[in-house]
Amino acid sequence: MEQHSGRTGRGLGRVLVTVYGILAFAATGRSTFVLVTKFSEAPVAYSLSTLAALVYILATVALALGGRGSWRAVAWAAVSVEAVGVVTVGTLSLLDPAAFGESTVWSRYGQGYGFVPLVLPFVGLWWLWRTRPRSADAFPDAKEAV
Amino acid sequence: MVLPLLLLVVALCAALAGWAVWFVVRDRAVILNQLWGGAVIEALLLVQAVVAAVAGARGEGEGDPLLFWGYLATTLVILPVAAAWAFAERTRWSSVVLAVACLTVAFLEWRMWQIWTGA
Repeated sequence: MEQHSGRTGRGLGRVLVTVYGILAFAATGRSTFVLVTKFSEAPVAYSLSTLAALVYILATVALALGGRGSWRAVAWAAVSVEAVGVVTVGTLSLLDPAAFGESTVWSRYGQGYGFVPLVLPFVGLWWLWRTRPRSADAFPDAKEAV
Repeated sequence: MVLPLLLLVVALCAALAGWAVWFVVRDRAVILNQLWGGAVIEALLLVQAVVAAVAGARGEGEGDPLLFWGYLATTLVILPVAAAWAFAERTRWSSVVLAVACLTVAFLEWRMWQIWTGA
């Protein structure tokens, strides 16, 4: 098994960053389009799209930079916000379809994007945990988990 | 948008993705010849952009131009960025990155055709 400790942009992480990057592009494109054309129709939904886009951009950059130093904290925060966001907005959009419409990446758990927005944050959280920096002295038990 | 050109791009994307998946199975990293394949697709995407711009200027195309050009710009960016990102990784995961990028471009082509024809 390759050594992943402390690096988030290598190995499987490289695929993760690729998918994050594509989703960041998709979310940014979508939010820009609706902000320009129909913001007045549903400001909450469209502001949410923009928030989602920013979170994806942040997660992409933080994971790509290898999770070193404070970028790891940024990656944890962005991926966590994303996980909470997709579950919350996904659930609300099912309970009350009129709340957000189909207008955000996270509506209906990201159905419009093949549910990738639902799966991705949990893979991201697992990957951040998997690549966490460890020191043998601080975490003597961690060796067995490798 | 010209359907034969679009179908050619999609076919080449599928072929390159298949090649990359084969490399994943064989536990191999992306090689330079695969990037040349990506460059051929990128060149065709540029031709497609010119064709679409000319057709658009003549008033062809059903969907929202902003939406269409957003998709088109995305297809142009994906392969060069993904190729550089994949090539810096010398494991089989680089082949997964290339396959994902190719399939994304193919999917976006299909969406662009939907927008263009107003489907």
